[in-house]
Amino acid sequence: MIGLRIQIDPLPLVEPMVVRLRDCASSELTEHDAILIDRQGNRLEYDFNGFSLVVHSDQPEGLDCDVVMAVPGQTSAHRLIRATSPHNTFLVTEQCDQLCVMCSQPPKKHHADLFAQFATAAILAPERSVIGISGGEPLLHKEKLFQMLENVARLRPDVTFHVLSNGQHFEKDDVKRLIDIGTDKILWGIPLYSTDPETHDRIVGKDGAFRSLERGLGILMQAGASVELRTVVLQQNRDHLGALADFVFTRLSFINVWALMQLERIGYGRMNWTTSFLDTSSDFEPISTAINGTVARGISVALYNFPLCSVPKEYRQYAPSTISDWKRKYLGFCARCDARSACGGFFEWYSHDQGFSGLGPL
Amino acid sequence: MTVMPLKFRKLPVGDLLFADDAGGFFQADQEFLHRYALGDLTDVDITFLEANGHAFHELGDLSYAGFEYRFASRLYTPGDLDYVILVPTLRCDLACGYCQVSRVNENTPGFDWTDETLKAVIRFLDGLTTKMIKVEFQGGEPLLRLDVLQEVRDFCRTRFDKCEFVVCTNLQDPSDDAWEFLEHDDVFVSTSFDADPGTHEAQRTITAAKTQQFLGNFRRALERLGTDKVSALPTINPHNPPPARSIIDHYASLNLRSIYLRPINHQGFARKKYDARGSASTWNAYYSAFIDHLVDYNWIAEQTVEEYYFVHCLRRVLRSGHNGHADLRNPSIVGSGYVVIDHDGKFYPTDEARMISRVGQFDLAMGDVFTGISRSKIDELNQEASNNFHPDCVHCPYQPFCGIDLIDDLSRYGRIDLPKHLTDFCQKHTGIFDKIFSMIYSSDPKVRKSLAIWSGVPNFDGSIGKRLQ
Repeated sequence: MIGLRIQIDPLPLVEPMVVRLRDCASSELTEHDAILIDRQGNRLEYDFNGFSLVVHSDQPEGLDCDVVMAVPGQTSAHRLIRATSPHNTFLVTEQCDQLCVMCSQPPKKHHADLFAQFATAAILAPERSVIGISGGEPLLHKEKLFQMLENVARLRPDVTFHVLSNGQHFEKDDVKRLIDIGTDKILWGIPLYSTDPETHDRIVGKDGAFRSLERGLGILMQAGASVELRTVVLQQNRDHLGALADFVFTRLSFINVWALMQLERIGYGRMNWTTSFLDTSSDFEPISTAINGTVARGISVALYNFPLCSVPKEYRQYAPSTISDWKRKYLGFCARCDARSACGGFFEWYSHDQGFSGLGPL
Repeated sequence: MTVMPLKFRKLPVGDLLFADDAGGFFQADQEFLHRYALGDLTDVDITFLEANGHAFHELGDLSYAGFEYRFASRLYTPGDLDYVILVPTLRCDLACGYCQVSRVNENTPGFDWTDETLKAVIRFLDGLTTKMIKVEFQGGEPLLRLDVLQEVRDFCRTRFDKCEFVVCTNLQDPSDDAWEFLEHDDVFVSTSFDADPGTHEAQRTITAAKTQQFLGNFRRALERLGTDKVSALPTINPHNPPPARSIIDHYASLNLRSIYLRPINHQGFARKKYDARGSASTWNAYYSAFIDHLVDYNWIAEQTVEEYYFVHCLRRVLRSGHNGHADLRNPSIVGSGYVVIDHDGKFYPTDEARMISRVGQFDLAMGDVFTGISRSKIDELNQEASNNFHPDCVHCPYQPFCGIDLIDDLSRYGRIDLPKHLTDFCQKHTGIFDKIFSMIYSSDPKVRKSLAIWSGVPNFDGSIGKRLQ
């Protein structure tokens, strides 16, 4: 696995500090840049505005242009931006107002406010970066989130965001702000599990969630926002996917893509695995119904986190490789598979004895 | 709960088809029509209408907004002018009986762009705001003025970020220099191949030698340029059409997978020679049978084939925002997104407008390259170019999928206010949409297979054609 933290020698910090690591000095340095001055094995020493910053790293791809955050009292720094990776995500809060059965990042009560640091990191990101914003529920801190997005949009018009939100905290007044930031700057990843309010609410563990999500989606539509609608397929919503396809076409034709997602076996997803995981390698019909019902009507559909061999041949075109590099693995038989380079593989925490029953090399 | 207004029509087979203004549709029986008309809907009706997007609870709720969105995205809005059709000459080395474009003989003087015209066209192109341009060269036979094509191409390549050139040629006798021109990556070929060699000879080339000359050039174009850069249209005489299977086999044997059947157009010289008025029903019968032949062909063929316009109409039924074809739009705003520049430098909103102006029916010119575009006349026409509130269209369930073509109406009837159901445009499109819905509601696996291919989906299942039980 690729490490999302790197060890550093302790620093006398009073507040979190964002640093961009550079292998050599260039003309575009900022006050946040640290220049590599010495390398001995895995020990890298940087000059940071006259101070010494020591990093211990065994990452083969190097650290040039990575943006890291050092936090007071911690001996490891967060790799906020890995310059060589397309998968960079800021976990802006761990607070959430839902308790979803499949949550991979179960919520916590405490919130550490690091929006200023995240904004700095985004401004230091490589050209045309796509930065993920995740939680918890980022919109619980809407004002600070919007300020961050507005700042970055102004200073770095080439940087775009992919924000994962439950979509329930938008107000009419947000329409203008969303338009001003730029509707092409943010792709909102919004989950919807069923057209039946009760089923949806039960899956996300919150009464009234469906109705307030409907309002939120209406506001995003009005703003002309870019939306990736996300539906994790579960035993709980297996029989609802056909109706959901009709709902997506009739109510949500404005979305950029409808993502049907396989379950991630971590967090609550691991706890609820046996009662939630839908083995689509042996039961693909609900997925094909959803695809056929929407693609013919002009809606883009994508299957996320589906190993290619779990998908019937004529539907593989909808299954791009989506599992992030740092949490991806392949199984033994994948070595014999001709489709491996096009396949996203499995989550690091996928357990095959409880997983798909109908897999094998292509 | 409020139900959106529903329009309905008896299908040739089966129940009534209902559709709303956003293009949502379903089948139901006569009893439902009574309940709907009398305001006596059952709970089952209401649940169905709500799920299928025909009803809303309160103004502005997600059902309402989703409906609005689908309604709005069916409306065509012209973008920047980024497409020009250039007619550098009217001269042609063929004299096809149905010629739609009022050609003149190869040696006739006075029907070519002058040097001043060319300069003015380049000045006009230079003044466009678009960064991408599509240039279509028509004629006459545009390759007779290869010098003009080269100069326009060279200019566009330096002036625009992205260019695409389409040469509409008869491929009868391209010179070596013409082949060199056609072989560039940004150049595409559009030609005519009338069904099969026999029909092609009867309608276009007349002599066997000329037919062979064309076929040789056609094969050479397909081999050297590739089938993705060469398109061919068969022009069909509805009163004496070639057998459908012959067209399909000949096109498929050349690996041409998309056939765009064109009935002989009632314009230009064609109107003098052929009786094209009142031929919609003849055409519709042929067209419907042709689609059936395609369905049979595709059932067993390795390489499947489509009829281009049918697929376009099918996708307009299924989807919002499918406005890519200039022949079927609503509102049909012309003279904005693209213009035609004729051999004398005059601007026309469409090729058809150029033709009816040439035969002296109406003058639909909109200025010329020397004095600039003048839109006032065309804008008057554009004001009427919407079917949404047209008294003849408001009750038609096909209205959201359909378009409007006032220039065709002018050409055929000399007026735009003939009742729509008496027009060729309405009769032909009603026929196409009847066919499409009979297929959407068919359970024949052969039909389902072709519909899946044509709508771009792995399987065309029953979920698209809803039925209220």
